[in-house]
Amino acid sequence: MSVTVLETENLSHVYSKGTTSQVHAIRDISLKIEKGELVGIIGHTGSGKSTLIQHFNGLLKGSSGTVLLDGKDIWSDKKNIRNVRFRVGICFQYPEYQLFEETVYKDIAYGPKNMKLSDEETDKRVRQVLSFVGLDESYLEKSPFDLSGGEKRRVAIAGVMAMEPEVLILDEPCAGLDPKGRETVLSLITSYREKTGSTVLVVSHSMEDISKIASKVLVMNNSQLAYYDTVDGVFTHSSELYDMGLNVPQLTRLFLKLREKGYDVPTDVYTLEKAGSELLRLLGKGDIR
Amino acid sequence: MISDITIGQYYKENSLVHRLDARNKIILTVLMIAMIFSCKNFISMGIVALVVFLSVLLSKVPVKMFLKSLKPIIPVILFTAIINMFYVKGGQEWSFWIIKITEKGIYTAVFMAVRIILLIISSSILTYTTVPTMLTDAIERLLSPLKIFKISVHSWAMMMTLALRFIPTLIEEIERITNAQKARGADFENGNLIDRIKSLVPVLVPLFVSSFKRAYDLAFAMSCRCYTGGEGRTRMKQMKFTLKDVISLLFFSASFAVIILINKQFGALI
Repeated sequence: MSVTVLETENLSHVYSKGTTSQVHAIRDISLKIEKGELVGIIGHTGSGKSTLIQHFNGLLKGSSGTVLLDGKDIWSDKKNIRNVRFRVGICFQYPEYQLFEETVYKDIAYGPKNMKLSDEETDKRVRQVLSFVGLDESYLEKSPFDLSGGEKRRVAIAGVMAMEPEVLILDEPCAGLDPKGRETVLSLITSYREKTGSTVLVVSHSMEDISKIASKVLVMNNSQLAYYDTVDGVFTHSSELYDMGLNVPQLTRLFLKLREKGYDVPTDVYTLEKAGSELLRLLGKGDIR
Repeated sequence: MISDITIGQYYKENSLVHRLDARNKIILTVLMIAMIFSCKNFISMGIVALVVFLSVLLSKVPVKMFLKSLKPIIPVILFTAIINMFYVKGGQEWSFWIIKITEKGIYTAVFMAVRIILLIISSSILTYTTVPTMLTDAIERLLSPLKIFKISVHSWAMMMTLALRFIPTLIEEIERITNAQKARGADFENGNLIDRIKSLVPVLVPLFVSSFKRAYDLAFAMSCRCYTGGEGRTRMKQMKFTLKDVISLLFFSASFAVIILINKQFGALI
């Protein structure tokens, strides 16, 4: 049985309403996110991804429509909006720019302190999330400004994880990292989800990254919800994704090209195994195994 | 949102005022302000108002924009007017309860209000019709005689240009950091004064860190393009003093003369 944790109904947001520069950032979005799911949110630059996620924790309020957390409108009690932010944690793009404390320990403890948790609980959480992001305890007393870029990123992500949100949202967690850094961040996200069982949303414009970790994919296009389906399901639309200006994996692009040339191949291929067997089948040599 | 605030408030248009030399526009604005302050009665003030109004028309900037720039000043205008109304004595007197208002007080109040409004409008014309970079360029040129006192006018002007350039960037940055800290439960709205000041630390520290980084990057980028200061630097956009600049300058000087004459002729109101 799947339980819906986060839900939006006809959510729209208009920036600078009523002026000449009025922009519809998101338009009529209705979706349900199930508990424990790892949802990848993809879309081209300016498709409304970032605006959408800021509605999930009440940083933005929709011009119309509602956001429901556990079936309850998050704006039903305005004073309680901080509480919503503890339950839906957002880690923004380039989160290393949010670090401000003297030590890594204090910075990670900022969220839990705001939640008014006891010192023991805070301490427990700080040490726990530090291990989640793959850093050892020697980091705790270092200044966050002395760390490398990738380490800063991980400390910042840990700062959000320490609030133990029911829904963790990461906006472009891999932006600006080298391939090794990307790999590390992606794997820490999956292991965090496995260990805590929480719902995770990852915003990215790289289909390649998303297809590696997500269980479901939400595709935004021109401020509207284009697809919301399993990874396989979304990849059946790979040529449309390509037309939306999304960076589909190279393998998928290869199969799209083959299809264009008139070969009878599926276009929802994104793993090496499937690509291998499809190519062998095409060459008439039977299955790979 | 904070980013709605317009700073540098240039209004794009291709009017006569826009095409005037920026240096000339600064001189004209100074002249205009001098005129406004030298007015001694309603007749001379009326003439200045006419000159201001004519400039507004020629600038083709919608009147709505000027009203917008007046809006934040309304409390100041009201305050000045009311204070003047009660404290200036002379002429006929009316009194209700403990309040005493004089004829001269009312005149002075209106006079002061008009003066402030005209001051705001005339300085707005300058900022609406001149791009900030042109403005600082012009200030640099106008102040260049200060070089004989060993003041590096160019560096100051460059600093001003850069400061103006980075205001929108910083606003964006503040918004981003604020959101990130809000997402971690920062509370900027509640608590007493000390709590609120403390709550700014998580925004200010990252802001300073990134500003310093930006400053280093910018300095590096500038030296990569061989920037060595003002010495021997030429300009892509040369400033030219044209016929319309001369005419406008003559027109303003003439108006100034008229105002001084009227002041002499009709005497002072205050």
